[in-house]
Amino acid sequence: MTEYKMFQGCTIGNRIPFLEASARMVFDKLGIKTSEGPFACCPDPVGFNSVDHTSWLAMGARNLTIAEAEEKDIISLCNGCFQTLKLVNKELSHDEHEREKINKILGEVGKEFKGTINVKHFVEVLHEVGEEKIKESIKNDLSGLKVACHTGCHYNRPSEIVQTDDPLKPVKLREIVAATGATPVDYDEEVLCCGAGVGNTEEEPAMQILANKLSSAMNAGAEAIIVNCPACFQQFDTNQKKAEKQTGNSYGLPVLYVTELLALAFGMKPDDMGIKFHRTRPKDLLEKHNLA
Amino acid sequence: MVSVDFELRKKVMDAHIGDTLKYCYQCNRCTDVCPVSQIAPDRYNPRGNIMASFLGINLFMGQKDNFGIWGCTVCDTCDEICPQKIELTEIFTVLKNMSIAAGEGPDYYTTQASTIYDAGKAIPSQPAIERRREQLGLPKVEEPDVSEVQKILNVTKLNKILNK
Repeated sequence: MTEYKMFQGCTIGNRIPFLEASARMVFDKLGIKTSEGPFACCPDPVGFNSVDHTSWLAMGARNLTIAEAEEKDIISLCNGCFQTLKLVNKELSHDEHEREKINKILGEVGKEFKGTINVKHFVEVLHEVGEEKIKESIKNDLSGLKVACHTGCHYNRPSEIVQTDDPLKPVKLREIVAATGATPVDYDEEVLCCGAGVGNTEEEPAMQILANKLSSAMNAGAEAIIVNCPACFQQFDTNQKKAEKQTGNSYGLPVLYVTELLALAFGMKPDDMGIKFHRTRPKDLLEKHNLA
Repeated sequence: MVSVDFELRKKVMDAHIGDTLKYCYQCNRCTDVCPVSQIAPDRYNPRGNIMASFLGINLFMGQKDNFGIWGCTVCDTCDEICPQKIELTEIFTVLKNMSIAAGEGPDYYTTQASTIYDAGKAIPSQPAIERRREQLGLPKVEEPDVSEVQKILNVTKLNKILNK
């Protein structure tokens, strides 16, 4: 059985670890094995790459060498970490000039990038495990639950490099969600960014994008948003009140990580996965669908 | 009077190895799909940024409001939609790197980079979260070798960029 190096990233690991709790419960149930590694920041494809591209490449490459030393692929719980590691891996594997440049830098700390491992997003891995195996573990059929799927940008773009899913009409998250019995609704703004990136520069446009997204999901009848990225999670969950305040709209839309949805469907308890740490309140939703 | 900034032009062209940039015919599809242009059309325009980049017209540095480059939300949608396969986001990264080097980037970016330099992580571990991890039955996050991270970032001269 393949064992992956777990890359939970800074946001999940050191800020909202409850997302990791549900991920590990689901991985255990589905037989996905992981082990830890002394990884640094991936680093952030939005923040750190915008500061200095060469530093971003070198830091990303250093993380990859840690997994290479154990000859294990990386599984990422975060879109940002996934995109950085995947892009760096690809750029350095295919561009000899860049690889030489970065390896000269890594040589200072006795490391060398070889390009011998792969980087996977956890949604890819869950999708490979397959609908059948997910269905076998289901204790609570979620039929009747309508949700809006949001994969976020760095899961499936740039598609030529990450090759996870359709870049503008992703299907894997929807299929995983559908395996629980829940219905992924069609909504106009499904591929729209959550707005977190521009929020680093200015809050107002970020909240407007978020509000447009939430309105679209609610108009389609969604009772919750399902995400697979901690940055998107924080935008939808932590910032939902701000978007309500700015626009005067009222949403109150719960946000669940796809691993939380799966864990609930597998019969695991909300308290065991720390759902109480969400800012948006899923209590009514959980009660309505007998998941509390 | 518009003048050509040859250094800007060289940096953008050098970084864009595929050389597709010069084939932009300004069709505007990038701006059509841009989530920021949709809500702030007067302030952020990827098509305009591409045109200025390949002409070498520096609309980006020395501006009071630099939302014109930093408004990008890095969603990579323009890259997907471009009929000429121009990797717009890569070009915008070059512009942002230049803006940071000129000391003009938004604080968020340099603050985050500075934390990564100091701690090896964008969000360092903290006792309250470590306790929460324990309560949730999660293993400890293994700490990175910060001295190694700093050695690397000194070679890339990030320490100079961040005035460390």
